[in-house]
Amino acid sequence: MTMTEPTRVVGAGLDRVDGPLKVAGAAPYPSDVRYPAMAHAALVRSTVAAGRIAAIDTAAAEALPGVLAVLTHHNAPRLRPGPENNLGPTPPPPLQDDRILHNGQYVAVVVAEQAYQATDAARSVTVTYERAEAALDIDDDRGELKIDPFGFDGGRGDLDAGLAAADVVHEATYTTAENTNNPLGLFATVAAWDGDRVTVHDSTQWTSNVRTTLAQVFGLPEEAVRVYAKYVGGGFGSGLRVWPHTVLAVLAARVVGRPVKLVLSRPEMFTGVGHRPNTVQRIRIGARRDGGLVALDHEAVQTVAMEDENPEPVAAVSANAYACPNVRYRDRQRRLHIPCPGSMRAPGEAQGNFGLESAIDELAHRLGMDPLELRLRNYAEVQPQYGLPWSSKALRECYTVGADRFGWSRRDPRIGAMRDGRWRVGYGMAGVSYLWWQMPCAARATISRDGTGYVRSAATDIGTGTYTVMWQLSAELLGLDPDRVRFDLGDSDMPPAPQAGGSGLTGALGNAVYDSCRNLLRRFLDRVADDPGSPLRRCTVDDVAVSGGRIHHRTDPRRGESYVAILERHRLDELTADGASSPPEAQQVGMAPAGAFAAKFVEVHVDSELGLIRIPRVLSVVDGGRILNEKLARSQIIGATVGGIGQALFEETRTDARTGRVANANLGDYLVPVQADIGDLDVVFVGGPDRLTPVGTKGVGEVGLPGTAAAIANAVHHATGVRIRSLPITLEQLIAPS
Amino acid sequence: MSRDDGHRGAGRTVTPTGATGIDLTLTVNGALRDLRIDNRVTLLDALRDEVGLTGTKKGCDQGACGACTVLVDDRRVLACLTLAAQCEGRRVTTIEGLAEDGRRHPLQDAFLRHDGFQCGYCTPGQIMSAVALLREGRAGSDEEIREFMSGNICRCGAYPNILAAIREVAREAVG
Repeated sequence: MTMTEPTRVVGAGLDRVDGPLKVAGAAPYPSDVRYPAMAHAALVRSTVAAGRIAAIDTAAAEALPGVLAVLTHHNAPRLRPGPENNLGPTPPPPLQDDRILHNGQYVAVVVAEQAYQATDAARSVTVTYERAEAALDIDDDRGELKIDPFGFDGGRGDLDAGLAAADVVHEATYTTAENTNNPLGLFATVAAWDGDRVTVHDSTQWTSNVRTTLAQVFGLPEEAVRVYAKYVGGGFGSGLRVWPHTVLAVLAARVVGRPVKLVLSRPEMFTGVGHRPNTVQRIRIGARRDGGLVALDHEAVQTVAMEDENPEPVAAVSANAYACPNVRYRDRQRRLHIPCPGSMRAPGEAQGNFGLESAIDELAHRLGMDPLELRLRNYAEVQPQYGLPWSSKALRECYTVGADRFGWSRRDPRIGAMRDGRWRVGYGMAGVSYLWWQMPCAARATISRDGTGYVRSAATDIGTGTYTVMWQLSAELLGLDPDRVRFDLGDSDMPPAPQAGGSGLTGALGNAVYDSCRNLLRRFLDRVADDPGSPLRRCTVDDVAVSGGRIHHRTDPRRGESYVAILERHRLDELTADGASSPPEAQQVGMAPAGAFAAKFVEVHVDSELGLIRIPRVLSVVDGGRILNEKLARSQIIGATVGGIGQALFEETRTDARTGRVANANLGDYLVPVQADIGDLDVVFVGGPDRLTPVGTKGVGEVGLPGTAAAIANAVHHATGVRIRSLPITLEQLIAPS
Repeated sequence: MSRDDGHRGAGRTVTPTGATGIDLTLTVNGALRDLRIDNRVTLLDALRDEVGLTGTKKGCDQGACGACTVLVDDRRVLACLTLAAQCEGRRVTTIEGLAEDGRRHPLQDAFLRHDGFQCGYCTPGQIMSAVALLREGRAGSDEEIREFMSGNICRCGAYPNILAAIREVAREAVG
């Protein structure tokens, strides 16, 4: 039961198993859920960034038709703090005191018969604030600057000696704007209590965590909370935490004694479910004339909320990207009166990679070297921090295959030398060494007497394709035809699963599915171990293989029998087995666990007079380990590339310096890429299965995003000679006289 | 410290004053639906909450994302910016009304084949928009499709696959 090569089922570009529901508009997202007698909630948000609530008048709201309750810090039940997990603490519970820590903070929730009535009544709540001075800017010294906030700072060698030995030192500051995740699905929570048990439908990437958190916040046993997230309208990190609106929906339902639905508005999506923090990064990078790196120093400052946390190492991208002997990377976090940032697709890497890969390009230019050659010259053959071999690494192929396919050799290295009519043409590239991440995961597998398989886990599919690839994998591991297998997820009563995040779910869940299917096979073999009628008598899992609904000898497929035959003979309706996976320790396995790698190649066209930027093509070459479904994996890469184009050219959450209000909290003013912005996005996968786990995947949800912005900025420099060190790249940066 | 009335005025003016219940007959996917609704209800909320057709999605409620695109008398409209009351006597077509005799519309099949979606939330709006696009004769080239599909945001970034799906159906229609 080993798995290395693509098979008929796995690897094949099967269509999404949930696709028919989605194209029919029949996939039920949390906001589509209805209960009889369901009431609706709407939120009141602070209009100041710091201070306290001096008075809050709810009388007018309470008098409106249909209003069932108005909860404020005066009358809201006390809530316990949620648990700490691997992504940090739970956001502080809402409506517990009169303090205001950011604009947009919830100060009341209104429950009414109809959604319109709730929204109306929310506008009728009058709040009087005692305003305090707010710290809103990343440079504002009134906000504490946390040093080494994640305990992640580190390095190797002697940085100062390296800098002293360098022939060329490049030093620059790079900045990235605040971005907002903005999944298109408005986050929604529907909560329905039945006595002391509650059922919650939530826009989340992590049902198990919502269950644990709500149980703790409301003082319930975990089994009293059931969380569903069968379909989620995107997340990109927004659904990794249990945000206050989820707690408020559950609280409101308890108070009014009826099911309650709460759907965030688009403006609320900018202040209530996290965002990518802005950064200021100072990079010093030194090399010898021949291009050998001798020093790399990366310091990144990012923003965080006053009383919440967001672990997001930015400078750490420089730890393992290159074989440089003298390295230092340090993160800093500035506390501000802002909504708490959170993960947004490729957290930390999206920002840090822009700094690092821009700096590498600038260094190459200073050295008069091809930037591709500089990267190959400093290729990290072993993982530099541990000195251990990578569990897999095909970044060299990413570079070489990419250069060939893109036509990198046709690049005239002279600035501004390439033209297409009035358009200046630039080629740029960047490398990506993505962080490895994995969490413990569980799954359960069943085979029934009708010959069908059923595998499940509490995981979520936020559009990543988890339903599909785990269905494929289950079919292969059980040796069943795909149409005889069902894979289900999105229910916290299923075996616990980690977040759909950090590009870690496919690996964690895939290996848990592997383990559960293998354990199920053991259960079948145990049944027939002493069964004189079975050709599988005394076989171990390593002696057998599975195909066509049968277990058979590995060496002689004719010697075996079907699952159904075993179940019938033993008068069993079904057999079920649990399985689990946990992340391996690098030192124990003697390998450095590798995340995905990628090379990005970009062609940009810049209008000579207007500064308009067009991106006719992006090539992404990705080492994602074993690819379970190439069609869906490609979609992940193009989607992330679109996200990277957004980061590079459009996306910037603007906060009003006076009030701390997000000034562009809608999809008309916060620009995201649309169809007309996207050109040809080519994707190639290289490499093979990763050696760390039996399934061999590495996760491809995020690797497509970092590198995009740097490659675009590098291409813009090649086209125009203008070096952009600040995202997003805007027209006015390119029409300055040059 | 200063005192600040954050909601000055707003609370006292926005009330249900002027809101009345109205009787309305909509033709949705060929069927007559009699509704008694608040006159402020948008077509989007009427479809989702009153008619019970939740395939049409709310992504912004501000006319900026296209997730709520439906057809009214065969023209694409943003249901979040259309009052239900404006649609009396007009034909409304939603994603649920696209299949014929239980068979998916060619665009639905093409979106499946080309993986023209990920989370699926924008998909009903994309498909309805594409149905209208073909009818408008705006699918003659990739450039044209890109331009005239730019009112439908896909945050998962499936644009190239959406383009491929529409292109394929447009060519079949011509061929």
